[in-house]
Amino acid sequence: MSNALETAHLSKRYGRTWALQDCTLALPAGRVAALVGPNGAGKTTLLNLSVGILEPTAGSVQVLGSSPLKQPTKTLPRLGFVAQDHPLYQDFTVADLLTLGRKLNPGFDDQLARARMQKLGIPLDRRAGKLSGGQQAQVALVLALAKRPELLLLDEPLASLDPLARREFLRTLLDATVETGLTVLLSSHIIGDLERVCDYLIILSASQVQLVGDLQEIGQTHKRLIGPRQNVDAIAHVHTVIEQSQTERQTTLLVRANGPIFDPSWEVQGVSLEDIMLAYLGRQAGEQLAASSSAHKGMEVVQ
Amino acid sequence: MIWLTWRQNRIEGFVILGALVLSSIFLLITGLQMTQDFQQSGLSACLAHHPGPNVQGSICGPLATAFANQYGSLILFAVVLMLLSSLLGVMVGAPLVAREFEQRTTQLVWLQSITRTRWLSVKVALVLLTGLLVGGALLVELSWWYRPLSPLIGPLNPVAFDFSGPVLVAATVMAFGLGMFAGTLTRRTVFAIFLTLALLLAIRLPVEFGLRPNYEPPVTITWPLAQLGPPPVTVGSQDWILGEGFIDAHGNQTPNLNCHGLGETLTPLQCLQASGYRANYLSYQPADRFWTFQWIETSIYAGIALLALAATFWLVRRRRV
Repeated sequence: MSNALETAHLSKRYGRTWALQDCTLALPAGRVAALVGPNGAGKTTLLNLSVGILEPTAGSVQVLGSSPLKQPTKTLPRLGFVAQDHPLYQDFTVADLLTLGRKLNPGFDDQLARARMQKLGIPLDRRAGKLSGGQQAQVALVLALAKRPELLLLDEPLASLDPLARREFLRTLLDATVETGLTVLLSSHIIGDLERVCDYLIILSASQVQLVGDLQEIGQTHKRLIGPRQNVDAIAHVHTVIEQSQTERQTTLLVRANGPIFDPSWEVQGVSLEDIMLAYLGRQAGEQLAASSSAHKGMEVVQ
Repeated sequence: MIWLTWRQNRIEGFVILGALVLSSIFLLITGLQMTQDFQQSGLSACLAHHPGPNVQGSICGPLATAFANQYGSLILFAVVLMLLSSLLGVMVGAPLVAREFEQRTTQLVWLQSITRTRWLSVKVALVLLTGLLVGGALLVELSWWYRPLSPLIGPLNPVAFDFSGPVLVAATVMAFGLGMFAGTLTRRTVFAIFLTLALLLAIRLPVEFGLRPNYEPPVTITWPLAQLGPPPVTVGSQDWILGEGFIDAHGNQTPNLNCHGLGETLTPLQCLQASGYRANYLSYQPADRFWTFQWIETSIYAGIALLALAATFWLVRRRRV
């Protein structure tokens, strides 16, 4: 299967700050991917570069086989995008917004949009500004979905929603992916809600890609190892140590296993996705920590 | 896209329409009254029987002066209307793009199936059209309204010039264009409005006071000092007098007189001669240059408007959100 999104050494700099650096990744078509990372990690930058709103400082991005910046007429009709805080024309009624969708998109599915609005109980004559935050997010999502896109990108769609609105939003999204086989990339700084809908994971931290891959595979290959205090060099030769903490008696590791773990001195445990994410996000902070106080007692973090 | 632009700006559209209707009513009432008085007072018939460039000096002079005294101050309202057309341009042009950035709706509309160049093109087309319509409508109304006053004051008069020809349309379009440019540059509505006003002043004041008197070299007439009093040739009421005074010892034109001993021992003429003054002078722009001047200034404003719009396109194509 081809890739819906491909980036190669994609970088973006604002003044002296790199918002995204040397980002190379691929998102296979048909996947529902979570783009996670702390605030300021470069998630919005990556998404905006992907849809062609931003111009990269270096590197390239291909969306559905075309450059979003150089061939907008090829990519725009096939892309759906809901920006952060789902901006809408506040003085437009929902019906006006649907008219906007119909007038500006040749393949706009007006029936689908109306049906979804009805299902969600959003009145068409209500002004967007008068809708609740959750309803506005839903309207923005329906507008993007009714374009019948092949790739849908959502920037922090859940951030401003309460738990109930979150669930409804994800349900709308899930319905659409099941019906059409659409590729989705949605960013978030929390992973909890996404585990149910996503099957692909991209971890971004400190403007760099930390991990990309199939969610299930990531869950299976990452292990927590607990054993008596010992040198970790041996195991680091075979497996990738993501996080390491040592007490006087005990060493705990979070590793990405590159095969079976044979050493019987380690007790092998599964690890939650949340912990994996935190371990990767902690790497950058850990490096800085290690650099600032090298004589750190009790616990040290190795990358 | 045309629907969207209209839907977004229909309130502004109605405001503009309302302003035009109100100003039309005002111009119609005062204009009719002025025309009626122009005929009833006999000034119209007098001017028809005694044509000549210098109305004030002719037999119709007293009638003309009385008429000008009564209605001359109304020109102020014409000026207000003319400024209003520029102000409308600023108020509509500046938020057009800035508001989309401010409310981040660029991120909605730029991700529909049309390119942002197309999105901007429709806005620009609409702005140009509105500018042309507003400027054109005011031009037609004000030209009709100004007809009775025109033979007395003339269209080349610094104030009347602004609303007596295509300059009015070009200036209106320029205000719209600069507004759009400032809005795209600053992405802040309020800031953009102030920037546009500043730009308009920075362009129009130097053009009107610095460039306009010199679009063509002024006609200067000189006559001997001994011939005190008015110039020996007739300068028409419609001509634009730029300055009068004396030619000093160095050959420079000066409106000021610096004469020592005047009234004590010397007559005015003796004093002038003693101080080195050589002659009287009067410089003016003849009224028949009106259209040349109009087209020169129209080109300047239209050129700036085009530059501003081109810069707007360039900014939108390359700028990040």
